[in-house]
Amino acid sequence: MKLRRGKPLVDPPALASSDIAFILIIFFLVCASVQPETGRAQTLPKTEEKEDKRDQSKNLEVSITPTTIVLNGSPLQLPEFAARIKAALEPKQRPEDRVVVVKSAPDTEYQQWIRVSKAIDDAGGVVTLELTKERTITVE
Amino acid sequence: MKIPRKQFTASIPTFAMGDIGFLLLIFFVILARAQDDSHIQWRPAQLEDLEAAGVPLANVAIDSGFKTYLNGKEISVENLSARLAAILGDAPAGRRNVFLKVHRTAAAQTFEPVIEAIGEAGGDLVHILEPESEPPSP
Repeated sequence: MKLRRGKPLVDPPALASSDIAFILIIFFLVCASVQPETGRAQTLPKTEEKEDKRDQSKNLEVSITPTTIVLNGSPLQLPEFAARIKAALEPKQRPEDRVVVVKSAPDTEYQQWIRVSKAIDDAGGVVTLELTKERTITVE
Repeated sequence: MKIPRKQFTASIPTFAMGDIGFLLLIFFVILARAQDDSHIQWRPAQLEDLEAAGVPLANVAIDSGFKTYLNGKEISVENLSARLAAILGDAPAGRRNVFLKVHRTAAAQTFEPVIEAIGEAGGDLVHILEPESEPPSP
């Protein structure tokens, strides 16, 4: 008769549990954080005070309202605006001539603004914001 | 005759190491999430031809309630430029990315001063947007 050999008890190596936990957490963190963001870089517009009007006559002026885009006085829709701004910027070679002064109505939505801004960038223009500063003047 | 003193061996309980490591990680994760802005409610504007945005040094957001946040904490526009300049420090040009996340219906009077503040701080502005969804084909 054969005697059965008793199986030795094997404990899992507890010392490795910290490493296992660490690797698992790193794995889940990486999975959670890899969510690539997409966007559009923009050369930052230089803001100009309203009273500083030097050389503005040379530059194109764009006014954005919630419904229309006004280029040098002509109200346009986006596809037409993109073509017109491209044509207007094409003959201009110097960077300072390619500055486009953008003035937005206070209630212009970001979605509209970013589309116009992209059209100007794509046409080779440099967006410059014109902000109207609020001032309180006390009259005696 | 001297009776030898019994030697006690002190061993570190290695079984607890997993728990200690876990707690330390939780601690560092919470620290890291101090800069997180995932709690901010906003819907990005849509645009075509977008690129990968890279890595930001700071996140500026305008939520659906048109409040401004810097790295997940609410901030006034007046203080934004100085705080951003402190965060950007002496980082070289091209590595001064500031992500701007603006709710798509925010008005110009809200987001234009924020853009101005990022410019004043010398940040490289990156608008965070979502790719334009194609209209459903008939």
